[in-house]
Amino acid sequence: MLRDITIGQYLARDTAVHRLDPRTKIMSTMLFMLLLFLVRQLAGYVFLGVFTAAIVVLAGIPPRMLLRSIRSLAFILALTFLLQLFMTRGEPLFRLGPLVATREGLNMGTFMICRLTLLVVMTSLLTLTTSPIALTDGLEHLLRPFRRLGVPAHELAMMMTIALRFIPTLLEEADKIMKAQMARGADFRSGNLLRRARSLIPLLVPLFVSAFRRADELALAMEARCYRGGEGRTRMKQLAFAARDGIALTTVAVMFLGVLFLRGRP
Amino acid sequence: MSARGIAVTGTIAGLYAVLTYALGAVAYLPQQIRFAEALAVLPYLTPLAIPGLTLGTFLANLNSPLGWVDWVFGTLATLIAAFLTRYAPHRLLAPLPPVVVNAIVVGYYLAILLDLPFAVTAGQVFLGQMVACYLLGYPLLTFLTNRPWLIRRLRGQT
Repeated sequence: MLRDITIGQYLARDTAVHRLDPRTKIMSTMLFMLLLFLVRQLAGYVFLGVFTAAIVVLAGIPPRMLLRSIRSLAFILALTFLLQLFMTRGEPLFRLGPLVATREGLNMGTFMICRLTLLVVMTSLLTLTTSPIALTDGLEHLLRPFRRLGVPAHELAMMMTIALRFIPTLLEEADKIMKAQMARGADFRSGNLLRRARSLIPLLVPLFVSAFRRADELALAMEARCYRGGEGRTRMKQLAFAARDGIALTTVAVMFLGVLFLRGRP
Repeated sequence: MSARGIAVTGTIAGLYAVLTYALGAVAYLPQQIRFAEALAVLPYLTPLAIPGLTLGTFLANLNSPLGWVDWVFGTLATLIAAFLTRYAPHRLLAPLPPVVVNAIVVGYYLAILLDLPFAVTAGQVFLGQMVACYLLGYPLLTFLTNRPWLIRRLRGQT
């Protein structure tokens, strides 16, 4: 059951979006998120929506995978919409008991839904089309300029790789410990919050001890192989910007400037 | 940093992410409790837990539906809390920074993103963090304090 969980939910495909340099994807999603908060008109959201849909099609991602991540937010979306609809002051649209829905509220609510949905879809797109290792690699490169400020880019990436490597192993271990404790009569799934929190202690402690036994073995193996940090390290996969990265970044930059320009207008 | 330090830090990060996935299907929203936050007491025992937890939060938040906001600010909140926990004057106060810092930071951006009152979002995060850090984290801290060999490993010593 626990083993089905994947980190970053990467979906391996061979499409133009998958082939983009991870740095391009990280930077353009960052810009896109900023855009989402700058747009003020409904037309702007429609445009960003169409753009996002085009990328989804280009990346060959089944829409139901994206719907799944939106569904996890459905409750929050609905709550936000209703609060906006009834709490914003303005021209009344209709009444529901003591509550008055306003035209301004409807507008604000629709904006919030568009913004959050696109935020979720874009983030999912990044993690669906970029493997965690590529993401780590991209981040290491993007952090390099900060090395002068004392940011240990290589060490951070190495730790992240170790963490990613340990995640499936530890998930399996957690699964085993849970089953073993359940066989001894542990109950993880019932009772109120306090009881459930307490019941997790017999899972947490053995998992903790076993994780650090593994860390010890790993450290020994690294020392035995004379690991000495990023100095003089060579790479099998070199990151390189291609023409398509230029196209992608230019597109997002143009969109960004366009929105900034339109923002100044009524 | 030594190879041993890197291995321990990576393991703490991995453990945090695993606990987030294993113990809460949707641990990202304010109503939920992120039981993995129990690990937030670790900086009290080892400085290696500061980068470890920060990376762990980042990895765990990679699957968060809120995306960039959670990646950057959620991670930052953990970093600040970890520093404060490191210098907590007493064991009883070690779980406090992750409770307070997350309630403020996460509560603040949730309030903006979801356009809800700050008191509501911060209150929910606060309660969830209280349960994770004090009911689960504090017993973990007590368990570890009585086991010097485990603390040595946590500090990257042999």
